[in-house]
Amino acid sequence: MRSMLKATVASLTLAAVSAGGAFAGSHALSGDLKIFLDTSNPAPRATMEAMIADFAEMHPDLNIETTVIDREAYKTQIRNFLTADSPDVATWYAANRMRPYVEAGLFEDVSDLWAEEDIANNLASTKGAMTIDGKQWGVPYTYYQWGIYYRKDIFAELGLSEPTTWEEEKANCAAIVASGRACYTIGSKFLWTAGGWFDYLNLRTNGFDYHMDMAAGNVAWTDDGVRQTFANWKELIDMGGFVANHQNYSWQEALPFMVNGEAASYLMGNFAVAPLREAGLTDDQLDFYQFPAINPDVALAEDAPTDTFHIPANAANKEAAREFLRFVVSANVQTEINNGANLGQLPVNAGSAVDDDKFLNEGFEMLSSNSPGGVAQFFDRDFPAEMAAEAMQGFQEFMVFPDNLDDILNRLEKVRARVYK
Amino acid sequence: MFPKPIQSASPGAQIAYKTLLPISLILWLLPLIAVAVFSIKPDTDFTQGNYWGAPGSFEFVNNYGQVFFNSDMPRYMLNSVLITVPTMFGAVALSAMAGFALGIYKFKSNLLIFFMFVAGNFVPFQILMVPVRDLTLDMGLYNTKTGLVLFHIAFQTGFCTLFMRNFIRQLPFPLIEAARVEGVAEWRIFWYVVLPLMKPALAALAVLIFTFIWNDYFWAVVLTQGPESQPVTAGITSFNAQFRAAYHLMSAGSIVAALPPVLMFFLMQKHFIAGLTLGAVK
Repeated sequence: MRSMLKATVASLTLAAVSAGGAFAGSHALSGDLKIFLDTSNPAPRATMEAMIADFAEMHPDLNIETTVIDREAYKTQIRNFLTADSPDVATWYAANRMRPYVEAGLFEDVSDLWAEEDIANNLASTKGAMTIDGKQWGVPYTYYQWGIYYRKDIFAELGLSEPTTWEEEKANCAAIVASGRACYTIGSKFLWTAGGWFDYLNLRTNGFDYHMDMAAGNVAWTDDGVRQTFANWKELIDMGGFVANHQNYSWQEALPFMVNGEAASYLMGNFAVAPLREAGLTDDQLDFYQFPAINPDVALAEDAPTDTFHIPANAANKEAAREFLRFVVSANVQTEINNGANLGQLPVNAGSAVDDDKFLNEGFEMLSSNSPGGVAQFFDRDFPAEMAAEAMQGFQEFMVFPDNLDDILNRLEKVRARVYK
Repeated sequence: MFPKPIQSASPGAQIAYKTLLPISLILWLLPLIAVAVFSIKPDTDFTQGNYWGAPGSFEFVNNYGQVFFNSDMPRYMLNSVLITVPTMFGAVALSAMAGFALGIYKFKSNLLIFFMFVAGNFVPFQILMVPVRDLTLDMGLYNTKTGLVLFHIAFQTGFCTLFMRNFIRQLPFPLIEAARVEGVAEWRIFWYVVLPLMKPALAALAVLIFTFIWNDYFWAVVLTQGPESQPVTAGITSFNAQFRAAYHLMSAGSIVAALPPVLMFFLMQKHFIAGLTLGAVK
């Protein structure tokens, strides 16, 4: 009798809870919500903590515990905590970077959230990046543009203007080299910066679909299209376009060349703007242009790495976690966390407003209206980890010893055969 | 006498020695000097490429203020203390007792057990990474200070026991025999006769273990995550941000983290050197 009573009470509670779930936010959440963040930078960290505090205020009965882990350490620890001491919500990255955890069954399928009207309509642009096997495995909270940041004053001094074609790009570079500077600064010590160059050269030479086909392992590295990408790259290398000894610098250590005027531009993500401004470059000296078209027959496509929230499969409080994900992607929250004082990046929600910042506006404009080919994540997020690691090693080698190209491509082709079995 | 005192070398050799010594010393210390200088530089110096020049502005107060008041550093420091001190006491206490048993009593498997302690020292600890991680996980000790302390005690006891056993072996055995003749209980012999004589060894070992554990990075990263349990060595990396490494704050943090073992060394220098050489010469 007693156990029956218990069961009835339990099922009633359950019914109440699931009924509540349908009216998002209208009922009180309770229990613990453990959130793991990799936003360890002071500003993003404060942003996230403020956002979580707002969420906590809306749900006073929910006991929220936030852990912020250093971004790099997080990348190794995630394997650990998803299997062992699982939080309810965790930050991560879109596309192939989430694939290992999706395939290992460590991330929760959140397709139900994506079926909700608000999310389906407003986050459509990143749905592809969040989809594996036809299901969605997380939600995005921010992304940022890539492109060429350049010294406007140097361009003015040499009488150059923002290039839109490959011929103009090369002519500009020749003029910059003639003035005793390098066209591009880059620090390829940690390899990924070279991955950015490959992305853009390949997207412009062969197009988005070819690039993604390659990421999926369907294109040989020895293909003529790939060779054409490298041939274009070699033109810049041969004219002395890149700073010397770049293999010894991190991306940060390559910034001084730009600040001191020894290099005129930098193919980088929008996060380069903050340190460049801090180092004393004003908005009159610093500007941005979209990577110029190379092959006029392919549509322009961009890199815009997206950062995401996920629910680990082993989470204890998935109901509260789902509510948190809804909160994070809502238009107001996205506007707030991405503004200049906070993350200083682009909101993913189409209903959000972009902060009044020259570079953010240009980036938003570019991604929303001038990237018809598609939006890629980034080389090491689109390609499987093993392939990306080998390939980026190869890109660095190519930039230092362009004549090794055949060796490099043959090697990468072997890796492709192994990785995509 | 070997080595020949520099005073009795030829004048040429003396001059060469006196000029080369400071130069090599500075070269040797260059990384440390760099860290010290970096810790008072502003962030913009790194973006402007001013690595080796004079600091663009003097940011001592600012950088160290950030480290102490605007980061998890104090918490990491406290964790380090809470991990290092119990480990120090635990390992020294256990090994003093084990050393007493192995050094004083004659029983059949004495040597075998002793060799097992010694053999433990030859196991490269990296190969234990996965099993130990799984073990702490199963025991619910993953990501706790207790787990780290227990593991350190277990692992350090091998070396400490070797050290203690050899030290106790060198004590005059007649002292113990005399006590036994007087009818003193064995644990009293340990407590009142042997332990007071072991004080130099205890001090030396405590200092050594303190620096070993304080400087441990490997296990801190393997067995803990986050500021609630990680010691300072692992915590310094939290100054690395998503896109940028804050070299100035990392330098300031490293200096703060290095201070306790350095202080320990200078205060206990005598014991430290004794610890490294004790048992090395008969």
